[in-house]
Amino acid sequence: MKKVLSGIILFMLVFSLAACGQTDDKTNEEKDDKKDKKTEEVFKIGAIPDQNASFLQTGMDAVAKELSEATGLKVEYVPSVDYAALVTGFQRGEIHLAWFGGLTSVQARNLVPEAESIVQRPRDAEFKSVFITQEGSGINTLADLKGKSFTFGSESSTSGHLMPRYFLSEEGIDANTDFNGKPNFSGSHDTTYKLIESGSYQAGALNISVWEAAVKEGKVDTNKVKVFYTTPDYYDYNWTINSNVEEVFGSDAKQKVKESLLTMPGDSTEITDLFQTDKFIETKNDNYEKIEQVAKELKIIK
Amino acid sequence: MTKLYPSLRLHKRFILTLLLTAIFIWSLTSIHWNSELFHTGGIPTMLQIVEGLLKPNLEPSILLVGLESAWITLAYAIAGMSLAIVYAFIVGVLASGTLTSSRFSRIISKVFFRGVLGFTRSIHELIWAWLFVAAVGLSPFAAILALAIPYGGILGRIFADMLNDVPEQPILALKAAGSTRLQTLIYGYLPLVWADFISYTMYRFECAIRSSAIMSFVGLGGLGFQIQLALADLKYASVWTFVFFLIALVIFVDGWSNLVRKGLTDHKRKKGLKSGWFSVFFALLLIAASWLYITIGEQAKLGELLSQKNLEYASKFFGGLLGINQENPAFLNGESWITALKLTLETLEMSIMAIGFATIVAFITVIPAARNIANGSLTLKKNWYNRILFGVIRLLYIFSRSVPELVWAMMIIFIFKPGLLPGALALALHNFGILGKLWAEVVEDMDPRPIRNLATAGASKIEILFYGILPIVLPRFLTYILYRWEVIMRTTIVVGFVGAGGLGMDFKLAMSYFDYTQITLLLLCYMILVIIADFASETTRKAVK
Repeated sequence: MKKVLSGIILFMLVFSLAACGQTDDKTNEEKDDKKDKKTEEVFKIGAIPDQNASFLQTGMDAVAKELSEATGLKVEYVPSVDYAALVTGFQRGEIHLAWFGGLTSVQARNLVPEAESIVQRPRDAEFKSVFITQEGSGINTLADLKGKSFTFGSESSTSGHLMPRYFLSEEGIDANTDFNGKPNFSGSHDTTYKLIESGSYQAGALNISVWEAAVKEGKVDTNKVKVFYTTPDYYDYNWTINSNVEEVFGSDAKQKVKESLLTMPGDSTEITDLFQTDKFIETKNDNYEKIEQVAKELKIIK
Repeated sequence: MTKLYPSLRLHKRFILTLLLTAIFIWSLTSIHWNSELFHTGGIPTMLQIVEGLLKPNLEPSILLVGLESAWITLAYAIAGMSLAIVYAFIVGVLASGTLTSSRFSRIISKVFFRGVLGFTRSIHELIWAWLFVAAVGLSPFAAILALAIPYGGILGRIFADMLNDVPEQPILALKAAGSTRLQTLIYGYLPLVWADFISYTMYRFECAIRSSAIMSFVGLGGLGFQIQLALADLKYASVWTFVFFLIALVIFVDGWSNLVRKGLTDHKRKKGLKSGWFSVFFALLLIAASWLYITIGEQAKLGELLSQKNLEYASKFFGGLLGINQENPAFLNGESWITALKLTLETLEMSIMAIGFATIVAFITVIPAARNIANGSLTLKKNWYNRILFGVIRLLYIFSRSVPELVWAMMIIFIFKPGLLPGALALALHNFGILGKLWAEVVEDMDPRPIRNLATAGASKIEILFYGILPIVLPRFLTYILYRWEVIMRTTIVVGFVGAGGLGMDFKLAMSYFDYTQITLLLLCYMILVIIADFASETTRKAVK
């Protein structure tokens, strides 16, 4: 009896699979119907997950809403777990507009040559990173970092990794060998200052804008953590639009999206909170040449 | 000389134990042991994590998210396992050679299909997931296929082994009666192996739940995704809430699979029938619900996997891995090989350390964790604290093995500095629970008579352990150690993803920098390690026998 039973289990497993194959055919037909109406396609936007995920979701949902109102498209924010995943989604044409960091935008444009960096914040033209440490750690200059434990943000971050590493190397510090142990990659700027505050690492580097917001909102205890070095200016974050947008959403879609982005944040407090800015300005691909050059020097891109 | 050989044979186990201990000690030398291993703030961070454990976040919104994610994790696991069974069934039959008639074609089919099964199971499911995501995008099918392939490989191999080990007489009888090969398979082989195959599948199903949970680390949903998000925001209380959901899921599957296995092995027909039918309907319900959810709820389309666009991306991606149109592919570069091989050695050391730590902890805890010792049936001594100790340790085992290595690693990395030690600890934390459970079952199944004899002769607990229990169970303990070591070897690359050192850490960096040829190089090194581990453990196991 038990053999019959187990036989039934096994065969049912197989049959249920065959049944699934049929539903697949149906959904395929539906898909073919959809292809005729191009406007039905959802315009998907993404952002590098360099901050608290729920905070990012609130801000980007607000952007999606504004974009949708301005362009008449169906807009949706797609969260992603790491920087590289967003770049891959962009490469595959599944993300149509992305809020990239300097490095990720260069990576994305390397993979999608026709893509274009269109809009940035005024501060992105003169972006900075801050190096932070615990109060009383005895670290006052970049040179003092030798032999201390150190954390970057995400390995794909411009302000949390690429440029801090570059300015360290200008000071003669090789991040791979000169710290106490290998440097850590915390994954996000928020995590970086929390790790310094808790004392998990002695020093770290992060995005100046996230740092200032954290100080303003009291998310970080400035009695415990202090900034000991601020880097020179460089170009960073921007909105990059994919090459397939005009083809999928019509020839005026790109221009419409750009115009809509330039009117933000308007009176949306969610967008102001997330981006820490009161306006957006135009940008162009050439602004990011320096980033590309540094990334090549540090062998992060080829 | 002639005398030396038998004495060598006699002391083989002793020599082997010494050798393995020496290898473990060698692996420990790769770390500079001092207080610097901890972060200056490692201890406070650990306290925060423990605080989260004691006070998990029980807000209704979090619980709702947990419930939904738990369902996604379960659905992916079930869908993946159902595909794995089909794959295992087809390739397993071919690999067993039962369908081929001539001797020559049987050998060819055995070698080829066993090779296929071996290859598919040697690569960790997370690596498969990542390859699929790169090739077909973030579709639930990436997760399902990534689960189906390695699990199908494991199941298929076991299935082929079972078919080959079938007793000859019934098969010969069928053949003599003139049945064809297919008829022999259906009426002869299959009825003989069904029960075993299903109980093994249920056992693997529990592992699939954990694997499904970590699929999110390449960007697919489920409990792992929530755990990762909560960890990124350092919300330890929510992390533990999701971990508890995962533990609950594992316990549920564990309980169910115990029920099914009991039903299949029990000779009490009536009872077996009831729970058997219940399991059949329950399994069908779950499979149907999972596939419905994935195809309709998540709108994943199998047909889209093979769309023109995906084929284009896939070929571009694999072309990148092979270094097509690349000026200086990393896998043809001597310098890159040297650094990669150094990492390979580090990874090997990490795996040995991990199994060493797991063995030590399991060894200390296994005796009180055996049921026949807790209730006094083995030693004929009853102590009230034995039962409590049994409960506590068994709970610890479940806790340890329910949490995937990757999740342990993500937490440990906040306490220890990045490097080999956190990786080894994470692997050990996950594996000591498995090792302890398997060992405890060995102790429970052993012949109680010699031990009772020792106990009545007045032997103390320690004496019973060293002269009674250990000599009997040691060979099987060693088999399990080696078996787990193989699994750990495969997982080393995964804990490296989160900064726990070795090949995995570089693999993650290469992925972030889209450095495809470097990825190929690291995958090659990883394959070398897996092959070495399989070979070493196979020879050692044979030596013990």
